[in-house]
Amino acid sequence: MKIYVIKKIVLLLPLLLGITLITFTLTKALPGDPVYAMVGERTSPEIIAKIRKEIGADKGIIRQYLGYVSLLARGEMGRSYYTQRKVLDDIKIKFPNTLKLALGAMFIAVPFGILFGFLSAFRINTAVDRVISWVSIIGLSIPVFWSGLILMFFFSLKMKLLPPSGTGGLRYLILPSTTLALPALATLVRITRVSVLDVISLPFVKTARAKGIKEIRIKMVHIMKNALIPIVTVIGLDFGSYLSGAVLTETIFGWDGMGRFAMEGILKRDYPVVMGCIIVSTFAFVMINLLVDIFYYCVDPRIRVHGANR
Amino acid sequence: MIATILRRFIAFAIVLLIVGSSLHACSSSGSRKEGYVYFRLNSNPTTLDPALIVDVMGGYLSAKIFNGLVRMDDSLNIVPDIASRWDVSADGTTFIFYLRKHVFFSNKREVTAEDFKYSFERILDPKNKSPNTWVLDKISGTKQFIAGKTDNLPGVQIVDRYILKIKLAKAFSPFLNLLSMTAAYVVPKEEVTRWGDDFSSHPIGTGPFLFKDWKHNSELVLERNDNYFNGKAKIRGLVYRIIPEDLTAVTEFELGNLDVLTIPASEYARYKSSSKWRNYLSSVQGLNIYYLGFNCSKSPFRNMNFRKAVSYALDREKILRTFYENRGRLAEGPVPDILRKWTPPERHTYNPCKAIKIIEKEGFKDTVIHFYVTADQEVVDIAEIIQSYLKKVGLQVTIKQLEWSAYKAAINNGEADMFWMSWWADYPDAENFLFPLFHSSNYGASGNRSRYTNKEVDRLIEMGQGAVSPEMKNCYYMKAERIISEESPWVFFWYKTDLTVRQPALKNYKIYPIYSMDKGLEISY
Repeated sequence: MKIYVIKKIVLLLPLLLGITLITFTLTKALPGDPVYAMVGERTSPEIIAKIRKEIGADKGIIRQYLGYVSLLARGEMGRSYYTQRKVLDDIKIKFPNTLKLALGAMFIAVPFGILFGFLSAFRINTAVDRVISWVSIIGLSIPVFWSGLILMFFFSLKMKLLPPSGTGGLRYLILPSTTLALPALATLVRITRVSVLDVISLPFVKTARAKGIKEIRIKMVHIMKNALIPIVTVIGLDFGSYLSGAVLTETIFGWDGMGRFAMEGILKRDYPVVMGCIIVSTFAFVMINLLVDIFYYCVDPRIRVHGANR
Repeated sequence: MIATILRRFIAFAIVLLIVGSSLHACSSSGSRKEGYVYFRLNSNPTTLDPALIVDVMGGYLSAKIFNGLVRMDDSLNIVPDIASRWDVSADGTTFIFYLRKHVFFSNKREVTAEDFKYSFERILDPKNKSPNTWVLDKISGTKQFIAGKTDNLPGVQIVDRYILKIKLAKAFSPFLNLLSMTAAYVVPKEEVTRWGDDFSSHPIGTGPFLFKDWKHNSELVLERNDNYFNGKAKIRGLVYRIIPEDLTAVTEFELGNLDVLTIPASEYARYKSSSKWRNYLSSVQGLNIYYLGFNCSKSPFRNMNFRKAVSYALDREKILRTFYENRGRLAEGPVPDILRKWTPPERHTYNPCKAIKIIEKEGFKDTVIHFYVTADQEVVDIAEIIQSYLKKVGLQVTIKQLEWSAYKAAINNGEADMFWMSWWADYPDAENFLFPLFHSSNYGASGNRSRYTNKEVDRLIEMGQGAVSPEMKNCYYMKAERIISEESPWVFFWYKTDLTVRQPALKNYKIYPIYSMDKGLEISY
C-alpha cells in the first residue's frame, strides 16, 4: 500500500505539469486580450506595450510557459493582472471557504443519500421506494440556480431564518451547502439503491442468512460494506469537483470561494488566477481520489490481495 | 430498525437547523454596524489606487477616500475641492491653483502643492504603468517626461507650499473636467512608497471617508473621517457588500440588509408599481449613450446611405417604450441631452418604406449582416428585436454572441459588421462623447470602434477642444454632432436613466450622474 501511495504522489508532479501545459495553451488560445481589458479605452500605446512586456505577453508561448513553471518552482503563483494581489494569498483565503462549502454539502448529502438509498433498496417496489425514487429524480433534475433561489425565498425572505448571502459561519453555510448537496444527495440515493440491490442478490447474503446471522447484521455489515465501493467512488468524485468550486452556488449566495475566483479570472483573462485555481483544484481532486483508493484498499480484501500481488 | 435510524436522522437534522439558526439571534439581518449605510457592488472592485482605476466602480469608491484640486457640483459645474480657487490665463493655457491650508491626509500629514506634483508625475511616469496618462497628457512637457528625458514635469510648478501652477502645451477646454477625475486625486508619497504594489489595499487619502477593511469578494468598509476639511459626513461609515446575483441583492434589500439598491431591469416594473416602494425610488439622467455601431470601414456599412437605411428601419421609440420600459430618453445624437447646449440634430425617424427604397436602390437587398453582441440577456433580447426589424426591410441579420473579452477583441479588430455598445462619461463635457468615439486618432480599440473617419469632424472637435469661450466650443461641437448624426456611423438609441430604490429610513439620499460627484456627505438616517 505504501508503495502504491508513494507511486501516486510521485505521479502527481508530471500530472500537474501536464495539466498546467494544457491549461496554459488553451487559455492563451482564447480570443480576448487581457491588456485591453486591464487598461480601458484611452491608454497610450507605449503603456500598453509596457504592460504587455511586464506580464510577458510579448514573448512566445513556450517562453511564457517556462517562465510560469519557474515561478511555480519558487513556490509562487504570480500576481493577478487586475488587483495586483498575490494569487497564492487569495487562494489561501478562498480555498478554505470552498472546503467549508464542500464539507457542508457532503455532510448533508452523504448520510441522507446513503440512508434513503438503503431504505429504497430494502423496501423495493413499495410506496416508500417509489416516493424516494421520484423525489431523487426531481432532485437530480432541478438546476442549482433554481433550487438555490427557492431555498433563499423560503428560508431567508419569507421565514427570515437564514441570511441570503455572505461568507461566514454555520448560519451562512446552511443554504449554499444544502443547494449544493441536493443533486449529490439524489445521485447517492440512486447509486446506493442500485449497489445494494446488486449485493443483495449475491450468494454470500443467502449463505449468511442460512448461517442464521441476524438480519440487521447482514444488512448493516455484510451488505453495506460490499455496497460501499461505488458509493465511495461517487462521493469522492463529487467532493473533488466541489473543491474546484461551485460557480453557480457561490454566485447566488455571494460565497467567496474558488469557483467565483476562477470564473472571474477566466472572464477577465487573468491568466495567473486561472492557472493558480486549476493547479490547486487538480491537486485537491487527485488527493481526494488517492484517499478513495486507500479507502478501497481498507474495506475490500479483494483489492488488498490484488494490490499485494502487484 | 431502518425506521428508527430514519427517525434519528430526521431528529438530528432538525436539531442542526435549529442550532444553526439560533446561533445568531434568530435574525437574518446579519450583524449590521450601527450608523453605517449599506450599498451593493455587483463585483469585487479591481483596485483603489487612483493611478490604476479605469472602471466606474473604482472611481465611485475612490471619490469617498480621495480628493483632487477641483470637483463637480450637483449641476455639473466645476467647484473648488482642495484648491480653494484658481486663475486661468486669457489664452487658457496656464492655471494657478491656490490650495486650502490645513487639509490633511488620513496619516495626519498636511497636503501641499508638492503632493499634487508628485501625484501627477506618478500617473505620467511609465514605471508606474498607469493606464490614465491621457488624463494629464495635455500638460506641457509631458512627452519629454514620459520619454524619460527629464525627471521633472516642467508643466507643473510649485510656486509655494500652497500654490500650484499648471501650464498646458495648448489650450484644452475640458482641462478642469479632467482634473476632477480619479487619476488627478492627490496621494501621499510616503504611503505609496511604503506599500508599493499593495497601496491599492491600503489607500490613504484626504476624503470624507477612511479605508477600514476590504474582504475581497465579500465586503468593503469605509468609516467617517472626522477631520475632513469640508465638514464631516452625517453617517458613521459605508459598507459595500459584494453580491454578484441580482435576485440575491433584491432579497437582501427587502430584508433590510441593504439600504440602497440599483434596480435590476427584471425588477423595475414591480418596484415602480409597488405601493411600499414607489415613493422611495430615485432616478438620475445618466451621462451615457447606448448605440448600435456600424463598422464603417467595410461593406455594406461603408455606404452612408445604407447606414441611414438601417437607421430608418428601426423603431427606437417603440423599443424604448415597450421593451426598455422607458428606462431612458430617446437619443438625438451622440451627445447626451443634459450636456448639449445647442439645438439637437435632426433625428432619423422610423420609416421602413424609405429604408426599403434605399436598400433596393443601393443593391443591398438580402445582404447578410454579422451582428456581434455580448452574452448579457438584455442585450441579446435587443439584438433579436433589431434582427426582426431589419428582416422586415429585407436584411438578414446573424447574431453572434460572445463573452465580454472575446467580444471586445472582435470589435476592436473590426470583425463585426454591426455591434451593440454603450459609452459612459469620464467627465461631463460633450468633448468626452465626440473625441474618443469619432476622432480618427482613436480609430479602433481606442474608442472609435465604428472606424468612422471624417477630416471635417476631426477639425471641428479639435477646434472645440482648443476654444476658450464656451460659446465657441459649443458651436464647434454642434457642427461636429450634426455631421456625425447625418452620416450615421451609429444608430443612436437612448441615454439610460439610473434608478435606485432606498429604505424609507434613509434621508437625503441622492443619485448622481457621474461617479466622482458622490462624496457621501449628505446621506443620513
